[in-house]
Amino acid sequence: MAKSPTRTYQQLSDELNRLIEWFESESVNLDEAIDKYEQAMGILRQMEDHLKNAENKVKKIAVKFDAG
Amino acid sequence: MEGVVLAPADFVALLNQTLEFAYPSVVIEGELSSFRVSKNRWVYFDLQDELASVKFFGTVYNLPGPLEDGLKIQVVGSPRLHPRFGFSVNISSISPVGEGSIKKAADLLAAKLQAEGLFDEARKRRLPEIPATIGLITASNSAAYADFIKILNERWGGAEIQLADVYVQGAQAPLQIVRAVEYFNELSSLVDVLVITRGGGSAEDLASFSDERVVRAVAASRIPTLVAVGHEIDTSLAELAADLRASTPSNAAQLLVPSRSETIAGLAVARKSLGEVLIQRIQEAAREARASREYLTSQVNLLLSDRLKMIETTQKLMSVFDPRTALKRGYAIVSKQGRNIASVKQLKAGDNLGIQLSDGTIGAKVQEI
Repeated sequence: MAKSPTRTYQQLSDELNRLIEWFESESVNLDEAIDKYEQAMGILRQMEDHLKNAENKVKKIAVKFDAG
Repeated sequence: MEGVVLAPADFVALLNQTLEFAYPSVVIEGELSSFRVSKNRWVYFDLQDELASVKFFGTVYNLPGPLEDGLKIQVVGSPRLHPRFGFSVNISSISPVGEGSIKKAADLLAAKLQAEGLFDEARKRRLPEIPATIGLITASNSAAYADFIKILNERWGGAEIQLADVYVQGAQAPLQIVRAVEYFNELSSLVDVLVITRGGGSAEDLASFSDERVVRAVAASRIPTLVAVGHEIDTSLAELAADLRASTPSNAAQLLVPSRSETIAGLAVARKSLGEVLIQRIQEAAREARASREYLTSQVNLLLSDRLKMIETTQKLMSVFDPRTALKRGYAIVSKQGRNIASVKQLKAGDNLGIQLSDGTIGAKVQEI
């Protein structure tokens, strides 16, 4: 399974939705289904990990917005 | 100075020097009159009360929006003596004051921007479902900032917030907010969403968010905007121009990101239903395999019984041709010296013959032909 730590939550969520759609489609090959199920479980783990552990970061911009 | 003769230009220069030293900046509040805009660029008006009237000069970039005579406004500027046109205050900022004037100015601006279509529903874009980067424009020491971050942290994690610390009230606020919006829009890597917020306050405190320059900057933003100003009951023009409006800074955070706990619950549902789908797929595959096996078995059986029937038929046919069958019915095979005889022409009287019957062979002799 392709694992990239740089994937955002949105990307993970999109990927999961694609897999769910695939499962809902008509012709599903069993070998592929098992493989994709494992992929989906991996993504779900990453998403849950993100939800439980990720923290927001505030970066103050070092620019003055004063006139002139 | 008496006795010193000055040329007019020298006098103007001397006076301006004195004015600049004594009054680098003045704040004057009064009733607007003789307001006019020349060549779409230069702004002239007077501020007056019962006793006096003072001339002002500036550019349209100083305007907080359309103005009309009778409004009460506050102007920050520097007094100058122009070499040809006489005395005026050069404007650095203008803001309507008093609830009545603020409302009137906002109504004038609202009508103008409405006519331009800046508040049209069709212009509104959807905010990203889950923003990874947020441009936040607010005062870093404000309750609005604290509320927004608190709710954001409660609901969600992993977002990067780039904070543009600006004044959210007062004469400097409009331009700072505009510059911050422009700053975010000029970055090579754009943030996913812009949030512009401040908490409640008086009509004057919130006036910056109904300033034409701010409203236009919000409307022109390439980045989708979420604006939340004041309490539920306050509606600023910047909120109307934004892609999405929130009632308070906390509400902005609620609208911006989903709730962590709801999302975790949603993921658990997704996990369960994926498991169920997989099991269903496996059962379907097993059912299909069973059906295929049954079909194949029946096909093979059909084929075998066909073949068996054919073999039986052939066997029956073959047995008709088997000479032994004829022998059993009473026919005999006649041979002479080991060769089968089919015609009397092959024989003559006295030949020794072998006669094969169904259960044995006898010897015989030809008596006559």
